[in-house]
Amino acid sequence: MSLAVRLRGISKRFGAVRALESVDLDVEAGTLHALVGENGAGKTTLMRVLYGAIQPDAGSIEVEGRARRFRSSREAIEAGIGMVSQHYSILPQLTCLQNLMLGAEPGAWIAEGAAVARAEELAARMGFRFDWHADASTLSPAGAQKLEILKLLWRSARILILDEPTAMLSPADSDALFESLAQLRSEGATVILVTHRLPEVMDHAERVTVLRGGRRVASMPVADTDARGLAELIVGHTLERASAEPPGSLGEELLAVQGLVVAGYRGDDAVRGADLAVRAGEIVGIAGVDGSGQRELFQAVLGVARAKAGVVRLFGEDASKWPPSRRLEAGLRLIPEDRHEEGVIDEWPLLENAALGLQRVPPLRRGGGLDPGVQRDVAERAARAFDTKHGGLRLPMASLSGGNQQRFVAGRALQLGPRLLLAFQPARGLDIEATRRVYDAIRTLCREGGAAALVVSFDLDELLEHCDRLVAMRSGRIFEPPPERAKDRAEIGRLMVGAA
Amino acid sequence: MLWVLLVGTVTLASPLILAAMGGYVSERGGIVNIALEGKMLAACAATSLVGFATGSVLWSLAAGIASATALAWSHWLLTQKFRVDAVVSGMALNALAFGATNFFDKRFTDPTHIGEMPRLPLGAYQALAFALPLLLAYGVRRTRAGVRLMASGSDPDKARQMGVEPVAVRFWAQTVTGLLCGLAGAMIVTNAGRFVDNMTAGRGFIALAALILGGWRPVQVGLACLFFGFAEALQLVLQGTDLMGAKIPSEAWSSLPYLATIVALAGFAGKSRAPAGLGKV
Repeated sequence: MSLAVRLRGISKRFGAVRALESVDLDVEAGTLHALVGENGAGKTTLMRVLYGAIQPDAGSIEVEGRARRFRSSREAIEAGIGMVSQHYSILPQLTCLQNLMLGAEPGAWIAEGAAVARAEELAARMGFRFDWHADASTLSPAGAQKLEILKLLWRSARILILDEPTAMLSPADSDALFESLAQLRSEGATVILVTHRLPEVMDHAERVTVLRGGRRVASMPVADTDARGLAELIVGHTLERASAEPPGSLGEELLAVQGLVVAGYRGDDAVRGADLAVRAGEIVGIAGVDGSGQRELFQAVLGVARAKAGVVRLFGEDASKWPPSRRLEAGLRLIPEDRHEEGVIDEWPLLENAALGLQRVPPLRRGGGLDPGVQRDVAERAARAFDTKHGGLRLPMASLSGGNQQRFVAGRALQLGPRLLLAFQPARGLDIEATRRVYDAIRTLCREGGAAALVVSFDLDELLEHCDRLVAMRSGRIFEPPPERAKDRAEIGRLMVGAA
Repeated sequence: MLWVLLVGTVTLASPLILAAMGGYVSERGGIVNIALEGKMLAACAATSLVGFATGSVLWSLAAGIASATALAWSHWLLTQKFRVDAVVSGMALNALAFGATNFFDKRFTDPTHIGEMPRLPLGAYQALAFALPLLLAYGVRRTRAGVRLMASGSDPDKARQMGVEPVAVRFWAQTVTGLLCGLAGAMIVTNAGRFVDNMTAGRGFIALAALILGGWRPVQVGLACLFFGFAEALQLVLQGTDLMGAKIPSEAWSSLPYLATIVALAGFAGKSRAPAGLGKV
């Protein structure tokens, strides 16, 4: 078999951090090669080296048998390499056609007819359909992913790098993606798949390479391993099974949402008559593709978005008219989606950030101010909860890495007697180990503290592993599976996309 | 009277359109540009001074464009290379233009000199101003440069991933902004006959208002400029008239275009959409 990609001894440092240490990678032509590892293991860095976006400190790159040295992505693209990054590079203010061409336009003047004809031809090959003159902002996550693949074909890429391509896709869309990739491989393309979803690796990849801490720890045919073995290679030690035993008896209803309607920021309704109840002791997961109304549902429960219709009951009382401060005081807590925008103030020290959102909750509130002793105590416990690595509570939040900020924000949500926890992608930016610890803490809180949790994630497997029951959200409505199928992957997947 | 109003509107709207299109190219590329005013003013002074000194239309126009382009390149250098906030940079360049034009005018104008400044016919500027929004609306969609300009202003990071170099794209965008603001200044001074201190009188900011009002879309921005040009023309026509018997001081009429700007912005600006990558490097 000929090698499409041969990397030898790739090393890269960022300041004091060794991101890659003498990493080798062999990818056979025409195969799907999976690259797995925890956050920070160096997967994306290695791929950006291959894509020419990062120059390595040492090592050699061979593409299709020829030694290469890429000084920019442009040169890698010319060598036949294409990369779809995790957060897509679709520009919403451009049309689909403009996005397709950007960076590889046919000439200084764009002959629209010819460009559309070629776009149509590529789309037909993959069985895709696009309205080429529509703004790319109208694309669904699955549509954006398809357009990204067409962009690679437009550039005649033979080696396709996909970084977490299914992170925002429903199971059905993910399956369709892998079908497209299989077709491309049958036409001679090579695919490198960066992922943290091990079932994908087991189902679709021929070979897998595992990175840990910037080093390659294993590379083998997928047939020689299983998901559990891979997970242990990734983490570096044996994993305990998550203790997801079903809850005993459930307590009182802590949250009840009835007929909730919330306007989205574009003016149309994002939540369209949602009903949901969460009882003490349980962890309820909301599955759904991004943009199904999860964000607005949380905002309405928290009280920062006004409900146009419907009722939000918290802890047995009608809370529809409560301001957010009163809801927080009553025991509502949030692990926000975007910690930078909604969770922390970067310039403030950890100590001050620890009090954010809890400032009205006794005993932290004392008279008209904050109790400094309690504040320090809250900060220390928030930092200790998930081993946030920090250089002191008086240092600004910005001095922490993203993963450590997430640990701190998750730890803070568990302080001062939470009764209902809203968690939006609580494991965002966390590795397998930390993810498990955060969910374990949430479970302990619910089982022993009589609290409940409502979790949103775009990763269905994560929810299946850690939640007690799942509901699906689609187009602003919540769909509950029958109780005996509350953790049935196929059933939830069907509800997410609305298939019968 | 109606004819006067129409001619006045076309003449007064043209420099606004030229400057606003300059702002359009700058901001679509992702650089906030509040220094349209300064660039126009610099072009007014340079066109007038070089025109009187050389007697050549070509040299005078070239000087006007060069002075505005020099300021535009400074804006590019400050914001893209030295990462100065674009509003701060724009303020500084405006201040520089106010001071420098005043100084050069006082230092180099010969008060005893009698004669005409050489000038292009106003119609040339007007034709260009009215064609430009359509050309830009078309060009931004149908040319490689246009698509890359939009991409740079919409999300420079993603554009970079696609092999576009936003900082280079913006250099050319600023060059066009300088060119257009230079033409706008040259037209103002052509209309007036010679340079007068602070003769742009806030037109650069009105052009900026038109850009916002038109939602960063060339044809709509052009229409907004026409509206503001009409307000200016109306102000000139109404000078000295009384309103229902009450005597209106001329200063009150003069404020009409600015009032129109405030009302228009307060009323409509909320709905417009800025380039998403404005100010991002």
